[in-house]
Amino acid sequence: MRSIIILLAAVLIANSALAEPVGKPIPIGIAVGQTTNVALFGEEQVNGAKVAEKLLNEKGGIAGTPIKLMFQDTGGDEAGAINAFQNLISRDKVVAIVGPTLSQQAFAANPIANQAQVPVVGPSNTAKGIADIGEYVSRISAPMTLVAPNSLKRALKMNPAIKNVAVVYAQDDAFNVSETGIFQEAIKELGLNIALIQKTSVKDTDFTTQITAILGANVDMVVMSCLAADGGNMVKQLRQLGFEGTIVGGNGFNSPNMYPVCGKLCTGVIVAQAYSPKAENAENQAFAAAFKDMFKKDPAQFSAQAYTAVKVIVDALNEVQASGKDVAGMDLAELHQNLNKALVASSYETPLGEIVLDQNGEVTQKTFYVSQIKVSDDGKTGAMELLPE
Amino acid sequence: MSAFFDQYGFLMVAIVQQALLGMSLWYPLMAGQLSLASIGFYSLGGYIAAIMGTNPWFAPWREALGPAIYPLQWLIALIVSALIGLAVGIPALRLRGIYLALATIAFVQVLNVLVLITDVTGGAVGLFGIPQPFVSRLGYIWFFGPLLVLALIFSARLTRTVAGRSFMAIRDDELAAQAMGISTTFEKVRAFVIGCALAGVTGAMSAPFLNTWNARQSSFDASVACLAYVLIGGARSIWGPLLGAALLVALPEVLRPLKDARLIMNGVVLVVACIYLPQGLAGLLASLRRPGKEAGHA
Amino acid sequence: MNIALFLQNILNGLSIGAVYSIFALGYTLVFSILGIINFAHGAVFTLGAYCTYALAVGDFGLNGLLAGLSMPFRLPFPLALLGGSLIAGITGVLVERLAFRPLRAKGADALLALVSSLGVALIIVNLLQMLVGAEIYSFPSDIFGSLPMAMIVKVGGKVLAVRTVQIIILAVSMVLLVLLAWFMNRTRMGKALQATAENPETASLLGINVDRYIVSTFFISGVLGGLAGTLIGASFGLAGPYFGVSYGLKGLAVIVLGGLGSIPGAVLGGVVIGLGEAFLPPDYSSLKEAVAFIMLFFILLARPQGLLGRQTIQKV
Repeated sequence: MRSIIILLAAVLIANSALAEPVGKPIPIGIAVGQTTNVALFGEEQVNGAKVAEKLLNEKGGIAGTPIKLMFQDTGGDEAGAINAFQNLISRDKVVAIVGPTLSQQAFAANPIANQAQVPVVGPSNTAKGIADIGEYVSRISAPMTLVAPNSLKRALKMNPAIKNVAVVYAQDDAFNVSETGIFQEAIKELGLNIALIQKTSVKDTDFTTQITAILGANVDMVVMSCLAADGGNMVKQLRQLGFEGTIVGGNGFNSPNMYPVCGKLCTGVIVAQAYSPKAENAENQAFAAAFKDMFKKDPAQFSAQAYTAVKVIVDALNEVQASGKDVAGMDLAELHQNLNKALVASSYETPLGEIVLDQNGEVTQKTFYVSQIKVSDDGKTGAMELLPE
Repeated sequence: MSAFFDQYGFLMVAIVQQALLGMSLWYPLMAGQLSLASIGFYSLGGYIAAIMGTNPWFAPWREALGPAIYPLQWLIALIVSALIGLAVGIPALRLRGIYLALATIAFVQVLNVLVLITDVTGGAVGLFGIPQPFVSRLGYIWFFGPLLVLALIFSARLTRTVAGRSFMAIRDDELAAQAMGISTTFEKVRAFVIGCALAGVTGAMSAPFLNTWNARQSSFDASVACLAYVLIGGARSIWGPLLGAALLVALPEVLRPLKDARLIMNGVVLVVACIYLPQGLAGLLASLRRPGKEAGHA
Repeated sequence: MNIALFLQNILNGLSIGAVYSIFALGYTLVFSILGIINFAHGAVFTLGAYCTYALAVGDFGLNGLLAGLSMPFRLPFPLALLGGSLIAGITGVLVERLAFRPLRAKGADALLALVSSLGVALIIVNLLQMLVGAEIYSFPSDIFGSLPMAMIVKVGGKVLAVRTVQIIILAVSMVLLVLLAWFMNRTRMGKALQATAENPETASLLGINVDRYIVSTFFISGVLGGLAGTLIGASFGLAGPYFGVSYGLKGLAVIVLGGLGSIPGAVLGGVVIGLGEAFLPPDYSSLKEAVAFIMLFFILLARPQGLLGRQTIQKV
């Protein structure tokens, strides 16, 4: 027994005493929810990250050294996110982490990485306060303040007769609650009348009660802040029950999961987007083509954001390399510090367009999009067509 | 410290933390009452600690008390949990068996929805940036470790006191216990409230441990997990909850190399453990120590 | 509340409540015979919906092992519904073999079956995700042939709107309930099942093969779960392999509310909770998930045995 303890101690001490070079290929951690009900988003993120690994390595990786993605499932809870992060930090010895999927998980796990001085890039955390967790925490997912009013303006351009508006939002989802506030202000600024406000839940699927109220109020437009599963069902039921006016959806609608839920009844819905697979910047063209090549479908926003997070890290690694250091040969802890310095206060060309990370790691996104959903007549394939400026 | 503790420090403390939740179910179960309310009190305790740790209203307290705010959080969580436990327990413990289990599940679900629509709890996002007494996750063993030791000593003593014997008498035969002059309602409520108080304190310790607190902490899955710790560990041994939590909390981590299949394997282990260890891990250990007696026929 | 809105709420409540009832019947049948809750029932519900989808639509998305595959055949929806439910029934039998029978054979603590059935649920749900991914699938709108999507009726100048799928759900549920009532009360097998549920020992003394009836119960329970899953899936889409979990929890509330082990109780419980949810004012819709449990909590306090339950000592 005693000898085992001595042996164990020896192994542990030897382990920690070693200086650790980064090594080849360069490991980047992906900690997203691949199981539990978060997997709906996590799978899309994994797909986007896989495309990033392939595409960015084809472009030469870090000065010829390829990157390798290490995936650790966070599950849907906070403890799972912490465990995944600790595995990536201590066992996989990654240079940076992309994740986790949910803001709540980020609040639990990001402090762990921050304390270990490992850079984290949040691919889909939109809650307030994420970038404030610490020096080593940044995110590429922007809150939607600009795009919501734009989508309303487009709707008005298509139908100037719109006067009365119904607002719907999922009140148990933080993102949608803040988005509807922006929508409601924009509606008032445009001189339209909010005839009624209806609250829903993201867990809900049957909206007949709300729709009865909306139909009774004789509105010309419904503005919705919901997620794909609940919002798609509500669009479907609105149309089935005879609503013929304009429907505008927030960024929660920007998901290919809309098409299976409401089928061709989605056609015509106007969507405010943080990402569009149709965006014309060169980065996105390359990404969308590679994604389509791999998965035979247009990328979802979650996929594009995961790609962007990996791309941002790779760009920053290349910056470190360009400063005259050999990334693969560097001491891991030293690289963490250098990488984080390179990450923040920089701008990046990404599929989301140009984004800027400030000194604090908070993101500013330059371009947002407004699209209209088009679903084929058999209801099997759908696309979001960009609306012209 | 070393790489091993860096990687598994959180996990090891999480085992102790979950074992405490298992123990909070173990007390009512000792009196034959199947309650799944623990996770609700865990959530409640966590919110008490998170609100006291982050809400500006408590800023003067935090400044005045320094680290002493933590024991105060535990104390308040303990008192509030015990009082609410009493209020829920007295009517609910008239129910038997699965009816009680379902009433406690209902209590937790309603609590969850109330939390979601209350402002002071941070709504859907929850509370975050909770002050940290320790730098490393492993440090939290100084919170949970002593509590576990206390709970184990308490349990061990309880099995030898009149109260503990009354609990077990009710578990074995409620009518007979009543005939022996045991006030069954009183004893059942007592066992329930002990569990609630322990879950509340565990929650108050867990909010800083997890850095954040939200309504997702008290999911149905989490409440059933607590029951699984007790049953897989062994409901009749004070060591049961700890052994069960050690196995079930570590298992998904041990199975990480299986990638996509790890939760499938986790399910397989649950089924196999139920079938082959009907007395739980504690029963298995006991039968190993007393060879000749087969596990499963204790 | 005007009369149109009142009728609307009644209809919405009955339609969703009927599905709750069918789902809950699966729980209650197993409970009546074994005195144990089958935690895998929610997973069987999900599995049934996915199997029907595979038979009726059969196109898989971009995640999981079956990514991009397409089934070589398409069954008409009613046949697929039947097929999916049968597979769910067979899964129910497997659940019994894996999680219940070994424990029964050893005479183990009945509580353990809660954990072992939970283990089986974990296996089913994650196996599903491994195969078809977590993305959303749904049935195309033409599965019901050329029926219109909805009917709009004016009542007292107000709009009363009925989705066709609501009517179909209600109709299928009614037929199913009548069939089940006939089966339980009019057939030899149904009567034997009831006798077994009443008292397994006496039943086995009377020459009833208890094991066989337990297997049949799990089969029927699985079929009911699969049917309910498909009906919900046809109405709202299959929102990932976990979409059965919240229904599973609600189903528990339904059977306890109605009275454990009572077949009319499960039906009544489902309808009461469905109506309760429908009549919740939209402003409070965030409370919708809690409606079932608030009702459950208070009804249990007033009537500890549920609405139609009998006052007996429960096993687990």
